[in-house]
Amino acid sequence: MSLKMESKTTGGVTVVRCIGRIVFGEEASALRSTLKTILSTSKKILLDLSDVSYIDSGGLGTLVGVYSSARAAGADIKLTGLGQRVRDVLQITKLVTVFEVYDSEQKALAAFQ
Amino acid sequence: MAIGSATNSALERTSGAFPSLVLVQGQEQRSLVLDHSPFSIGRKIDKDLVIADPRVSRDHALILSEEGGFYIRDEGSKHGTFVNGQRVERQKLARNDRLEFGARDGTYVIFHPASASSNTAREFLSQIAGLEISTDTTDLEKLTMFLDAARKLNTTGVLDEILVTVADTTLKLTRAERAYVFLKEEDGSLRLAAGRNSKGEALIDDTTISHSILEEALHSASEFLVTDTSQSLDLAGRHSIVAYDLRTVICIPLRKPQVQAARRDTPIAAPPAESGAEIIGALYIDSRFASRDISSVSNDILRAIATEAAQLVENARLVQAEEAARRYQQELAIASSIQQKLMEVHIPEVPFARMSGRNLQCKEIGGDFYDAVSTEDHFAVFLVDVCGKGVSAALLASTLQGMVYSHLAARMPLAESVAAVNRFFTQKHLGEKYATMVIARISRDGELEYVNCGHVPPLLVSNQTVVRPEAGNLPVGLLADANYESSRLQLRRGDRFLVVTDGVTEAENARGDFYENERLEVVAARSLSLEEIFTSLASFCGGTPLNDDCTVVELVYTGIA
Repeated sequence: MSLKMESKTTGGVTVVRCIGRIVFGEEASALRSTLKTILSTSKKILLDLSDVSYIDSGGLGTLVGVYSSARAAGADIKLTGLGQRVRDVLQITKLVTVFEVYDSEQKALAAFQ
Repeated sequence: MAIGSATNSALERTSGAFPSLVLVQGQEQRSLVLDHSPFSIGRKIDKDLVIADPRVSRDHALILSEEGGFYIRDEGSKHGTFVNGQRVERQKLARNDRLEFGARDGTYVIFHPASASSNTAREFLSQIAGLEISTDTTDLEKLTMFLDAARKLNTTGVLDEILVTVADTTLKLTRAERAYVFLKEEDGSLRLAAGRNSKGEALIDDTTISHSILEEALHSASEFLVTDTSQSLDLAGRHSIVAYDLRTVICIPLRKPQVQAARRDTPIAAPPAESGAEIIGALYIDSRFASRDISSVSNDILRAIATEAAQLVENARLVQAEEAARRYQQELAIASSIQQKLMEVHIPEVPFARMSGRNLQCKEIGGDFYDAVSTEDHFAVFLVDVCGKGVSAALLASTLQGMVYSHLAARMPLAESVAAVNRFFTQKHLGEKYATMVIARISRDGELEYVNCGHVPPLLVSNQTVVRPEAGNLPVGLLADANYESSRLQLRRGDRFLVVTDGVTEAENARGDFYENERLEVVAARSLSLEEIFTSLASFCGGTPLNDDCTVVELVYTGIA
């Protein structure tokens, strides 16, 4: 599997750092189940995508799916660390207007307060 | 061993475990298995055979298994039950009888038609059925005969016939009165798969057997269980044994064969079936007091039956599974050809615009497709990229195509059409399935309205310069409350509106570089045909295979003549 996830908690926000590729298959499934587990205890999640080299259409679907169900459950997911590739994909699909995207972890954490 | 006169009587009556009914409705034909009695026919929905014709009564007729034969009985129907054109109240059925219910010009049923196909298995089976074993046949000869039958049948795939043959052969070998073959279902229960009596008649009812002995055999570790009720006092009181006068019951659990090849050469000295092996069914045979005593049947024969019958059933199951897989493949192939027909593009001709498109599929059925619709003053094209691949993407693509096509044909506003499609897909909760698309509609005077839903921005090539209108919306099927807006462009004669899927812009070369928008723009500006774009793409990728479908659609405004 080409996706690793590390999480830490800072000021009530769970920061999940994704490393690798978010693509259809076990990577997308892993992201879905990891976030689902975190959402059962935390309502504030920051996804750090600095080390994500690629998101395919399936991975994007998963990201939006998780985001929608988090919102429906009263939780909040913000994004930070968008590389050029990921930024392009979100730009083309206009999903950049759906997600709350921040330039840095610091700014994102501040936005949660 | 002597092969006596081949009367074949048993085989003529039933070639499979149970007789079949073939329902003929116009050009349609359907086979039903008469595997229980009574078998009900009528207009009511709970009938075994429902015929939705007002002339058929709700409770029209029954087919009953009685005295070793099958009878049709009219249940007081209004318009009558007919066998070969004659109105009947009750009649014994013979092969190929034509049954009609109420209507004489509509649906009819053929009772147990003789199969047109005559293969070697069938011929061989007819020989088996006609075999007569002389009383002085030694056990060894019987065994050899059985094994011979087993071998030959191992190559056929007709499970029902094999099961009937197993039952028949077992009856001949043991001289018992009745034989039943049970197969284990997925849920662990036993299903009656074939039943025969020594007269060669089909038995479809297993209520008169000793189920307790059957259960006992399945749970015992032995190869077979011979129960002589006259010798065993505690058995004598059991219900079925008393009620049906059972004298000897032999039960043989059928265990999944462990080693197939090794045993072939030494059939008689076969190792006992491993008691731990998975049970796949059971063979049950019995005789009544009134009949002959079968308790002294040779253990060698029972052991051979246990191993060979299990081998037969297992092989038959494998062949059947293969057949099911083959049929499934066939269904898929049909679905695929329907899908391809649906996706076939018929480009309408209009005087003010023309369109061309090309799709390069990389692997299996892809998620890219395009189509065109012309209405009185407009010409619309759409290019869709459904996320994912394979059958699920194809299903989604077909539905999307139908919806977009019908909205365009009805001249609905573009943004509204897309919003409707989005609502449809998000309400269905398809789970992270979505599509990106561009719909463009050009009018006679060159005004182009388009809506981009999460797709790579289209290119407007005007006089060798390329403009990329960035206006865009969310993909379709992701978010229920997404808003969609269309944009407008004024095209001049000769202007080209190009839409590509991300398979083109994200095509990779050996170094892992993407084809990117810039290369596309350069080639689009100077080329006049789609071929040149694909040529450029191919030379960029070199030998690196595509990992996504590539589709390019071009709409050219030719102006009003």
